[in-house]
Amino acid sequence: MLTCKQVSNALSESDYEKLSPWKKFFLKLHVKLCIFCGKYNRQVMESQDMCRCYKQHEDSLQTVRPKLGESKKEELRRLLAKEAEGKH
Amino acid sequence: MPEREENPVEIAPPETWVDRYGDYLYGFAMSRLRNPDTAADCVQDTFLAGIKALNRFDGSRDIKFWLRGIMRNKIVDQIRKSVRESVVDMDSEDETLLESFWFRYSGIATTNPDPWQFNPRKNFDNIEFWQVFDTCIDEVKEPAREAFVLRILEEKTTEEVCKVLDVTPNYLWVLLHRAREQLKISLEKKWTGKNAS
Repeated sequence: MLTCKQVSNALSESDYEKLSPWKKFFLKLHVKLCIFCGKYNRQVMESQDMCRCYKQHEDSLQTVRPKLGESKKEELRRLLAKEAEGKH
Repeated sequence: MPEREENPVEIAPPETWVDRYGDYLYGFAMSRLRNPDTAADCVQDTFLAGIKALNRFDGSRDIKFWLRGIMRNKIVDQIRKSVRESVVDMDSEDETLLESFWFRYSGIATTNPDPWQFNPRKNFDNIEFWQVFDTCIDEVKEPAREAFVLRILEEKTTEEVCKVLDVTPNYLWVLLHRAREQLKISLEKKWTGKNAS
């Protein structure tokens, strides 16, 4: 069995989904039953679930994210054209 | 969005990168850095490094993601630079937390955190929710936001993050705790406010 401290350490070291199956099992069991760290660590796990899911959705958020300004784009275009030419 | 070719090793010529990937990379850098100037610098550095390393591109994935891979390293460099300019200090509230009984005994901040005002899981398929989440990350204060970006979004190990931010693992734990706390508060404010019935 894991102690409260071991559970917290495991959760701060990595995403619980990435733990070995046994460790994940005991961790989930502990957090379900523990009256000391359960409530808190359940929220930590929830936050990990949320961040994992956020990363999966990230690419579809691109349309609402800020875009490069035209002047910077123009500068970059010139720079890239110059660099690409030097390369040939 | 450029059309994907049949041939996976098709490489877009660098002259067209700005128009094809500029906005994508800039948006990505902004989500991590939140500073328009450093984000634009990051895109520029990425393109230059990309041109230099182009002969090492193996065509196994879209060049967009290859460039993004380069940029992820540039982002860490930028954060390292900004941390060097402003030293990360621990405030007394955080010290008290680390000294507290609950932290020393079980590695948690409190036994009784406030419950969520709504169930975030129900919104995991809702793209609007993630847009709000995106803006909520903005509101997390430095250096907790930087710690969150490096540790959670960029999935660096604890040692790496501690090195970049120049903090102890215990303090990193506090920073991540603060980030989670603030994220939850601003999510509740923005999301429940929007969907209140």
